[in-house]
Amino acid sequence: MSEVIELTLPVRPEFLVLVRFTAATLAARAEFSVDEIDDLRLAADEICLSLTAGIGDGSMQLRFSRDGDSIEISSTVGVEAVAEPAPDDPKGEWSLRILDALVDAHGRESIGDTCRAWLRKRRARSAS
Amino acid sequence: MDATLGLAEQMIGDLPVVVVSGELDLATVPALRECLEGHLDAGRSVIVVDLRAVTFLDSTALGALVGVLKRCRELGGDLRLAITEPRILKLFAITGLQKTFSISPVVDIEGSGGSTERARGEEDPT
Repeated sequence: MSEVIELTLPVRPEFLVLVRFTAATLAARAEFSVDEIDDLRLAADEICLSLTAGIGDGSMQLRFSRDGDSIEISSTVGVEAVAEPAPDDPKGEWSLRILDALVDAHGRESIGDTCRAWLRKRRARSAS
Repeated sequence: MDATLGLAEQMIGDLPVVVVSGELDLATVPALRECLEGHLDAGRSVIVVDLRAVTFLDSTALGALVGVLKRCRELGGDLRLAITEPRILKLFAITGLQKTFSISPVVDIEGSGGSTERARGEEDPT
C-alpha cells in the first residue's frame, strides 16, 4: 500500500511540529515500532533544519510517502531560502550524525533553483 | 511561552534548578536559553537542568545547551543535566555529547554525579 502526503509550510520554527506530527502519523500507519516512530520524528525535523535552520522567507514543500514498509520524506526550498549552519557551527555535524544513526539513507541535492533534502527509513520488523 | 514547552524554576539554596517538560526544538529553545542566560547574568554559574520530562529534543536544543555549558565553564561552573528518557540519552550518545555534559538520572544537587535527588516541585527547605 502506498500513501503520499504533501504539505507546504512557511519556513518558520513553529511549523516544525507539523512536520514531526505528519511523519509520526505516517509511520504509525506503516506499523513502525514506537522507537522507530520517534527516530523518524527526529530525522524529519533534522532534514528541515539542515536546509534552512528553520528560519527564512518563503515556504517549504514537504513530501511524505509510504511504500509498503518504507517511508521517504523530502523537504524542498528555493535556493534563496537555504541557510546552512556555519562551518564552525557543530549543529550541522550533529544533524548528520543523527541522520546517519536513525535512518537507512539520506541525502541532499540541488535541482534547478531549489534544494532538496530527503531521508528514507524502512520498518525493521515485519508487520503482523 | 510555546504550548509545547513547560519551564519551571526553583532555587535549592544557591543552586538554580530548571525543570523542562515537553518538546525542545527550534521554536521552544529560545525560552530555555533566555531562562538559563538569566541565571548566568545573575552570577549563577552552576545550573541544573532537569530534562526528565522532555519528550523531544533536536540538534538546535543541543546547540543551546552546549552554548550555556561553555559560559558556565568559563565562569568556573557547570551545567548539570538530569535525564532518564532513553530516547534523549540516545541523542547525546549519537552526537558524542554524553561525555561533554555532567548527566545524571537524578537532579544532581551536590555535583556528585547523581547521589542526591530532590523530586520535581519539592520545596526549597532553606
